[in-house]
Amino acid sequence: MAKRVLIADDSEFMRNLLREILEADFEIVGEAENGVEAVDLYKEHDPDIVMMDIVMPIRSGIEATDEITDENPDAKIIMCTSVGQEEKMKEAIKAGASGYITKPFQKPNVLEAINDVIPA
Amino acid sequence: MKVDIRELGQFNHLASQGAERAARSLSQLTGVAMDVEVTDVSLVTENVLAETFTGKSFVGVELGLEGGLEGETVLAFERERALMLQDLLLKATGSSDELAQSSVTELGNIMIGGFIDGWANHLGEAINMTPPKYTEAVGPRILPDQAIEAAKNHGVFLFESKLKAMDVDLDFSIYMLPEYRQFVELLSGNEGNQIPVNRLSAFEDLAKEGAGNAAGQIGMMTGLDTDVDVSRLRFVPLKGVPRQVGDDRYVGVVFELKGLPSGYLVVLFDEESAKTVASSMMPGDTSEEEIGTMTEGAIKELGNIMTSGFIDGWANVLGTSIEHTPPNFVHDMGSAIMSPVVGKLGTQQEYAFVIDSTIEIDGRQGRCDIYALPNERELARALSALPARG
Repeated sequence: MAKRVLIADDSEFMRNLLREILEADFEIVGEAENGVEAVDLYKEHDPDIVMMDIVMPIRSGIEATDEITDENPDAKIIMCTSVGQEEKMKEAIKAGASGYITKPFQKPNVLEAINDVIPA
Repeated sequence: MKVDIRELGQFNHLASQGAERAARSLSQLTGVAMDVEVTDVSLVTENVLAETFTGKSFVGVELGLEGGLEGETVLAFERERALMLQDLLLKATGSSDELAQSSVTELGNIMIGGFIDGWANHLGEAINMTPPKYTEAVGPRILPDQAIEAAKNHGVFLFESKLKAMDVDLDFSIYMLPEYRQFVELLSGNEGNQIPVNRLSAFEDLAKEGAGNAAGQIGMMTGLDTDVDVSRLRFVPLKGVPRQVGDDRYVGVVFELKGLPSGYLVVLFDEESAKTVASSMMPGDTSEEEIGTMTEGAIKELGNIMTSGFIDGWANVLGTSIEHTPPNFVHDMGSAIMSPVVGKLGTQQEYAFVIDSTIEIDGRQGRCDIYALPNERELARALSALPARG
């Protein structure tokens, strides 16, 4: 059975790009435009993995990750973001992120990051 | 408020690396090979912002910065270039027109991220970015209000990276404007190397005045209308200067400056402008088909007079004496003319203040570019001695 993925990114362009990369191998259970939607959709679908942008309106990806992992410490969340700052990476790991990829990415980077977190 | 020139060099270096990351991101997203020609930083006034942005339509991606560096920043694309990028991005994803704004916004977000990461890592402190906002405007209105306000009051630091596409006509600049006060604090560095920041603006005004004098002298000797189109004091990595001048062929003169500050001054005309100017200086209907001895003589003479007009003002205000060597005539590609100059200065410094002035001749029919490259340390010393501006 295909692994279930939740995509959270405020950019429609980036959500589409991620969907195109993933839909052949994964089931996309939902797409969130901000951190609040990401938390709500996570609770609703309990996905195997979340692809989470950091800079999002209303609630950032790091805050959403913190909230999700507070409730489910085993949640698998990969931060996929344009921010490559060391301090931000530390914050993301502290919030409970399992992995980190920097935009722009290509299909092999995304699949490799997911495979590192949830081996096939 | 004071800035340490070496810190300015460090931030310029990080911005150059950021621009290269941004270019790689752009290449990856669009499939178009991009290269960064140069990244420079200048302290610009309201007038220079107007000269840089007026008359062009822009698409911008604006976002706020918090933490290690605060303020609003914008990445601006000329509208025509942004539309080309949209086409490339949408082709890459096979998406509809509705995604056009989203694609450029995300591209801007990724590119700004490339800049900010290097600065944050240098500061050892996170810089938080607010979600990017797509904007469109004509002229300087593309810039954040606070940047325009700062430019009015005391100037604002403008980072400009020129990106060049390798195989298609997609050259454009990206502009970054960090919040003035905090950025000046970041540049404070060591007391011994500091220059009061307002002296940079004063020197820029002085350079502009010098360009005005030089333009007046062209007008006087040729009878052609002349006007200073752009005059900027940029802080650039020396190795980027030849690329910035480019591979078009120029006719001109190179002078070595001796005094405080020492350095070089280069006056360049494109070939057609050189012939026009030379024939206008001669009595009767005299002109050369190719660049020959007549043009050489005229350009050397004109260059001599322009150079004096350009640097006399510096010497008077700085309270120093600056002399120049006889003109060395050059006729070559711009990059080939600038490389030896940069090579000589490069033994003493990695970055340079470049005064880059463009003079329009006879409307937009011709142009003359003046590049002044003073010795960085000597200029800093001379500027420290300048009286503060009112």
